[in-house]
Amino acid sequence: MRIIVHHATCQGHARCWAQAPDIFKLDDEGYILPGDINVAEGDELLASRGAQACPERALEIDRTAAALESVFIQSRV
Amino acid sequence: MASNPVPDHVPPEMVRDFSLFTSAGMLPTPNGDPHAAVACVHAGPPIFYSPYNTRNGRGTWVITRTRDQRRVLQDAETFSSHRSIFASVLGENWPMIPLELDPPAHGIFRSLLNPLFSPKRVMVLEPVVRERAIALIDRIAASGTSCDVMKDFAFPFTVNIFLGFLGLSDDRLDIFVGWANDLLHGDDVKRPAAARMIVAFIDELAAMRRKEPVADFMTFVVQAEVEGRPLTDEEVRGTGVLLFVAGLDTVAAAIGFDLAYLARNPKDQDLLRSEPDRIGLAAEELLRAYPTVQMIRVATKNIDFEGAPIRKGDYVSCATMIANRDPAEFKCPNTIDLAREDNRHAAFGYGPHRCLGSHLARREIVIGLEEWLARIPGFRIKEGTAPITYGGHVFGIENLILDWS
Ligand code: SF4
Repeated sequence: MRIIVHHATCQGHARCWAQAPDIFKLDDEGYILPGDINVAEGDELLASRGAQACPERALEIDRTAAALESVFIQSRV
Repeated sequence: MASNPVPDHVPPEMVRDFSLFTSAGMLPTPNGDPHAAVACVHAGPPIFYSPYNTRNGRGTWVITRTRDQRRVLQDAETFSSHRSIFASVLGENWPMIPLELDPPAHGIFRSLLNPLFSPKRVMVLEPVVRERAIALIDRIAASGTSCDVMKDFAFPFTVNIFLGFLGLSDDRLDIFVGWANDLLHGDDVKRPAAARMIVAFIDELAAMRRKEPVADFMTFVVQAEVEGRPLTDEEVRGTGVLLFVAGLDTVAAAIGFDLAYLARNPKDQDLLRSEPDRIGLAAEELLRAYPTVQMIRVATKNIDFEGAPIRKGDYVSCATMIANRDPAEFKCPNTIDLAREDNRHAAFGYGPHRCLGSHLARREIVIGLEEWLARIPGFRIKEGTAPITYGGHVFGIENLILDWS
């Protein structure tokens, strides 16, 4: 699973971080770091909870095959 | 309340007899429930025109759906925040910063202030906040089996934290609460008088910190630079005044509404007391059910919005209490479910102006509830008393007399 981060939409509510601080990393102002997030197997539930907590809809859950593949590749390297 | 005539471009069928100031349940009401009272708008259209929906009787469009409020608040280019709501009380025109600035200026000040209110920074402040809550509640518990939560806990607690931010001691606490009260609820004489006191206080504090810096908020502001220059006097003032206005009333009101709910719902009260781990999630649900603020934007251009002809200069209201009762967004919105998940409520607004103090406010509320429930046994509303609630620009609760005898 991959989380697509719409960085420009983030307004620093930090609700994702409150759910899963290790998955959703914030900068010093409290906004999410740019860049999509590849979620490790086993972290999926937490990650989707965090994404669903975003009031701005800045975090999109990507469950397409490509996303699965990218996680798969990442887990092997 | 005097009202301006409905502008010609507003179709008469879009006008509704609804106002956050004057509708049923909005005026001070014993045992009132102003949040439930506004939920009735969801039986109607997604947008309508209210001819008298500001303190000075101006009309606003009212956006009822959460999804549409998000659209308005995220689009600062079309819906501006520049209203000088505080300065206009004095017949002046300067913005509270960053609330009443639009991008790109907004972003510059926001970036300056964000680190002071970030989640990590709030974690550092937490012990002080908790200590303060404990001290106040211990005193209440030691002195009897009843108190007025607003006067004895909610206000002293939140104002103390605000004063800590400003590096000031508690001795002027009552004066500040009085100013805040007059500003928010006073008449046409009291409001400008309070506004003048607040401005003079902030100006004086800024001058003091310029002369003798200490480790506090105003020192930071007077020493800060934006775009390679120090802040102007007006910018320092606008920033200080916003901290004052935003920090004083809203968190206290939230704590009041929350404890009133728990006083009336002993099962939920017992559950949170025996399983304090649930308080964090419960506090989110209480923020959803009892938010305090109405956001107003000014249209910067003509736009047709969900069939409504919004024209440049029109006011557009996004009331958090309306968004948070939208059945399209929240299942059974009028049921308070302290275990509600996926609670993306609007209590702190959406878009670039998302409440700067939200992380601190959240911690204050959670810590306040934790320490209250840990120290005060089963409480209820004292017999023969009735909390008085009110609507308006900021919803609130005047008194909350609890009894645990
Ligand atoms: S919850 Fe959304 S808005 Fe908040 S920090 Fe995370 S991404 Fe940003």
